[in-house]
Amino acid sequence: MTAPAGITLTGLCKTFAGQGGSVEALRDVSLNCPPGSFTALIGPSGCGKSTILRAALGLEPLDAGSVLIGGQAPAIATRAGITGVAFQDSALLPWRTVAQNVALPLEVLGRSLGPAQGRIRDLIALVGLKGREDALPGELSGGMRQRVAIARALVSEPRVLFLDEPFGALDQILRRQMNVELQRIWLETGVTTLLVTHGIDEAVFLADRIAIMQAGPGRIVEVLDSPFARPRLPSLFAAPEFHHLCDHIAGVLHGV
Amino acid sequence: MAFRVRSIAPYLALLILWEVVGRLDLVAVGALPALSEIIARFWVDRADYPRHVLATLQASSAGFVIGNIIAVLAGVLFVLLPVTARMARGLNIAIFALPPIAIAPILALTLEGMTPRIVLAALGVYFVTMQATVTGLSQYDSRAADLVRAYGGGGRAVMRFVQIRGAIPAILSGFRVAAPNAVLGAILAEFGGGGRWGLGAYLLGSLGRGEPDRLWGIGLTATLIAGLSYALFAALSARMLGASRSVTLNPAAPPAPAAGGGVWIGVVSFLLPFALWWGLLLALNVPGMIGKTPVDVFAYLFLSEGSAAAQGKLLLALGETLPITALGLVAGLAFAFGLAVTSQLAPSFTRAFLPVALVTQTMPLVALTPLLVLILGRGSAVTLWITISVTFFPAYVMITQGLSQVPRSVLELPRAYGATVWRELRLVAIPASLPWVFAAIRTTVPRALLGVMIAEWLATGRGLGNLMNQSRGYMDFSMIWTVAVVSVLLSVAFYRIAQITEDRVLRRSGHP
Repeated sequence: MTAPAGITLTGLCKTFAGQGGSVEALRDVSLNCPPGSFTALIGPSGCGKSTILRAALGLEPLDAGSVLIGGQAPAIATRAGITGVAFQDSALLPWRTVAQNVALPLEVLGRSLGPAQGRIRDLIALVGLKGREDALPGELSGGMRQRVAIARALVSEPRVLFLDEPFGALDQILRRQMNVELQRIWLETGVTTLLVTHGIDEAVFLADRIAIMQAGPGRIVEVLDSPFARPRLPSLFAAPEFHHLCDHIAGVLHGV
Repeated sequence: MAFRVRSIAPYLALLILWEVVGRLDLVAVGALPALSEIIARFWVDRADYPRHVLATLQASSAGFVIGNIIAVLAGVLFVLLPVTARMARGLNIAIFALPPIAIAPILALTLEGMTPRIVLAALGVYFVTMQATVTGLSQYDSRAADLVRAYGGGGRAVMRFVQIRGAIPAILSGFRVAAPNAVLGAILAEFGGGGRWGLGAYLLGSLGRGEPDRLWGIGLTATLIAGLSYALFAALSARMLGASRSVTLNPAAPPAPAAGGGVWIGVVSFLLPFALWWGLLLALNVPGMIGKTPVDVFAYLFLSEGSAAAQGKLLLALGETLPITALGLVAGLAFAFGLAVTSQLAPSFTRAFLPVALVTQTMPLVALTPLLVLILGRGSAVTLWITISVTFFPAYVMITQGLSQVPRSVLELPRAYGATVWRELRLVAIPASLPWVFAAIRTTVPRALLGVMIAEWLATGRGLGNLMNQSRGYMDFSMIWTVAVVSVLLSVAFYRIAQITEDRVLRRSGHP
């Protein structure tokens, strides 16, 4: 794995014009994610957190502001294969097998698949789907599909990982399991990660730093640290200081 | 085993009924012969068939292949470069809307040998497949496209990884509808162009002799060819659809290509068909006596000495053609929608009914018409019935496809709240299939006109179709071209009206 790269967001502004008037999705959003860090972006639905992530990947044009990934513009960084991404929906191609779906980023980047076969198999095993390499997405459960999406996000050996509510559709039990898994993967790879979520406990459990957003217009109101030592164990979910931090974040989210 | 007996019982009953009715000459004094009589006649005629069938097959499969290759390439081009789609719009609509029977005589006049048949078969195939390709390519999963873009993939990468494979079921379903079209086109060209071999020529030769058993034999053979070609692609697309249906419903639609583009694109789009018409006449070096340019047609209809008489004939024909077209169209669409909806409610009914419907529907119109004329006589009933049957088939296919693409989870949501099937349909299936219903309307409008014209040409001796046939007899080349142009323009006008209505309704009901 190559050295992680940082993410620098500076002064992002974005307004959507719709039929029911215009919506100011982002106002002057700035955030710096140092190389190797794990940052969580948390906020209510519709506060623009997914827009930030899409803008960081160059999928959403901005009205103002700049995005740098490892010092490069998104278009250049993504094309160079520096980034990995998993969306809220697994977005698997229904006609491709698990292994073929995991391989998709490599094909888009124009890399040869031959040398990557071993890594693809390892990643599928890493997300706990060993033996299902040739299954079609329609034959998998929602949680399995989401795990395929995580494996796919890692296949290009990214230096920066963008996760847009990747476990949003999963049940609480599976979600916690996936949180623990994701931490293990992050500790192994050391990839700079930006996680968009609306789960407070998920953000506190996984991230070094938590950026809290509010809606109307979408903006970052507070950035705080999650100071717990790594590796964090599932028992952390029950710790009083964990709950204390969660309650604080809930207070900021509700504007108390 | 009991199930199988039950499922074939209706067919057996139908066959027995047919046999009895046919043997006793109960329908229109022997117009409907018994199946055994038809088969016996087929056996007598067996030496005739191979060359006729081969000729039709050659022309229709050559047209099918050529038309589909052009159509898929054009569809990809239109999606990659939306500006080309807007420029070719007029041409596409004209190709789609032109009633093949109206240009069959023109093709026969200007081209030689097998070429008119191949061209007409290809024309019948082109629009269906092109449209299916564009639809398939544009209705991709935007989440998957985002993923490809997130790795720096551009429009081409999205096309390669997401759109093309995702479009295959749509393209196959286009082929499915196009295959009988190719057969129809080839036979129609045989009708209009003379020639010794081909099922159309055989049918035309047998029509005057009043031998119902032979006409039925030819008709059923043509039906079998069309039906088999349909079944082949139906089986293929059923296999593909299973794997490519998205497992979850994407709430966001793919971005629509930017509209507008200025006046000049509209002008190009309008002029292109006329330019092509003129250019082909020049390129093929057609004598001015036979080949009429747009200016010639305009002059004939408005500037020449006989223009008043020509206008009179034309208006009379239009007055006979239009009302019956509208009526048949509405009835055919209503029938298709009803059946498509029923297939959701009562799959077993559909399974029993569909093959019967399919047989009558895949029956190429030109083969069906003489048989219906034998049974129904030469009045308006036959025109109406033909129009309904022409409209029904494509509309049914499209609406059913629309309904079948609604994801399971969405269909099951109302059921989870104890909704009745009717409410479930009203809440989910019907709104979800609305775009396809409109696509079906657009598709079938020109076909309704074609159906009426074929009936008029072969049977009723009224309206535009008859005027065309008469002019052919009088070698009145100006009138042949005029009827062709007017019927194409009429079709285009119908199409545009349906499209504008579609845009309005869809926008109001929240479709992008």
